[in-house]
Amino acid sequence: MSFPIVLTFLALILVFFLVPGLFISRRLRVSFSLTNIVRFIKIATSKYDDEEERNEKGSTMGEKVKRERHKMPKHVAVILDGNRHWAEKRGLGTSDGHEAGAKRLIENAKDCFAMGTNTISLFAFSTENWERPEDEVNCLMALFETNFKSEMPYFQREKIKISVIGNRSKISESLLSLIGEVEEATKSYEGKHIIIAIDYSGRFDILQACKSLAKKAKDGLIEVEDINEKAMEKELMTKCSEFPNPDLLIRTSGEQRISNFFLWQSAYSELYFPNVLWPDFGEAEYLEALTWYQQRQRRFGRRV
Amino acid sequence: MDLYDPMMHVSSWIRQVGNLGLDLLWRFIHIVVSLWYIVFGIFEAIESYAISLGFDERYNSIDIKKLRCLAVAVDIADARDVANVIELLQWLTTIGVKQVGLYDSQGLLKKSKDLVLATVPGSFLLEENGKNDFSPDEKRIAIEFISSSDNKEAVMKAANILLQRYLKSSPPENDKGENFFTESHLSEALRVVGDNGHVPDLLLVYGPIRSHLGFPAWRLRYTEIVHMGSLKYMRYGSLLKAIHKFTGVRQNYGT
Repeated sequence: MSFPIVLTFLALILVFFLVPGLFISRRLRVSFSLTNIVRFIKIATSKYDDEEERNEKGSTMGEKVKRERHKMPKHVAVILDGNRHWAEKRGLGTSDGHEAGAKRLIENAKDCFAMGTNTISLFAFSTENWERPEDEVNCLMALFETNFKSEMPYFQREKIKISVIGNRSKISESLLSLIGEVEEATKSYEGKHIIIAIDYSGRFDILQACKSLAKKAKDGLIEVEDINEKAMEKELMTKCSEFPNPDLLIRTSGEQRISNFFLWQSAYSELYFPNVLWPDFGEAEYLEALTWYQQRQRRFGRRV
Repeated sequence: MDLYDPMMHVSSWIRQVGNLGLDLLWRFIHIVVSLWYIVFGIFEAIESYAISLGFDERYNSIDIKKLRCLAVAVDIADARDVANVIELLQWLTTIGVKQVGLYDSQGLLKKSKDLVLATVPGSFLLEENGKNDFSPDEKRIAIEFISSSDNKEAVMKAANILLQRYLKSSPPENDKGENFFTESHLSEALRVVGDNGHVPDLLLVYGPIRSHLGFPAWRLRYTEIVHMGSLKYMRYGSLLKAIHKFTGVRQNYGT
């Protein structure tokens, strides 16, 4: 008795949403055709069907991974801009803005992982930020310490690997020690990775990679002729990640530049510059970013 | 046991319908966002034509002096149609842009360099020292042609130059190369390998993807990046709007 009702309901959804939607939107991944509509229904209904998985055993893991990776960004990088402006708009102090930003950071990380992202990189503090007023810098360093301590149980519970990249020469001993503890405690986790860039600069990253290669060449570990782009990428600070190049790079607050973040790694990253300030960037805004990402063609500098 | 199979069947059906429902919801969100962008695109087109016809006074006088160096990155599909690139350069000359870096990843525009320079009035090849020997009132434009070989490949060649110098200096055991691998050293080495190193204030990206398409990374530190859509559908009004918006940007460079 319920079977015809369910079928009628599905048919109504098809007629009123899917068919016009496919017709109107050229940007959806499936083009408007009866074959694709039927294919879509079959895929959607049999996605987690055991029989379908058994039939797919023939295809290689590489092909499956490639298909899955194309749908969702595996590595999302975020430039956390707008904390001070957010606080100004509300008549609050700068430190309140940074605290709100820190809280948003953890919430957004949860959303990202829930939607299938493997790696999240956060541009928390740039080399240029040392020029800010001393009390603001001290506030930010204190925030890092507080949040590393308070969120450690969460990282361990959710098995999230934490890596901190950047120039560590100016960071305090206490924060360095805490960073070491967090990295050590989470180094064996896989599948979820948060990279926090503190005192990071894209140019510095390239230079330290050059220095690293030079040292290896001096020590006879590599030949000079073997120094190429691949060798360089293995020395960049993002070598800690399974996916070193971000698929999607988000900068909040409407500014349209990457400000010395991931200069080498972002060559073919999708850039998304929403106007919303970082403390206001929530799940809905991230969903919009993902929808944007999925709608664009990605051709990595060559014809597909 | 008799009830087990029908229960499993019902449960499997419920799961499939649930998954289908979630998938349709995701598609519905796509449709809503697509419709929004279509409406937004129509709005933008109307605004662009209004700007081109001079209806908006804000765009009739732009402080072009703030834009010392402009870069244009073109998707390889768009780069094959040099006529559009030439028209864009003519527009830029009209607006008063004095220096532009033209980039495409495969160097198609580099190959069409002679055609471009012969066709765009007032255009000439940007010299290595970057000096533009003409008065600001002249409608002339210096053009630099860039490709992906000026990006990572150039950085590797420059890194090799620094490496050779470092190894020749016979550094002591604990030396980390601090005196050989600095930003200014790498910038200088890039000039040696032919990268003029002109840092653009604004990068206009023409293509379907909002990405800088592999534009030389070393130059992109504080560059404003604006996605303009496909070169096939470029509009003079959109170009004016992007440049005008840039002149209003205030950067704090992280401080």
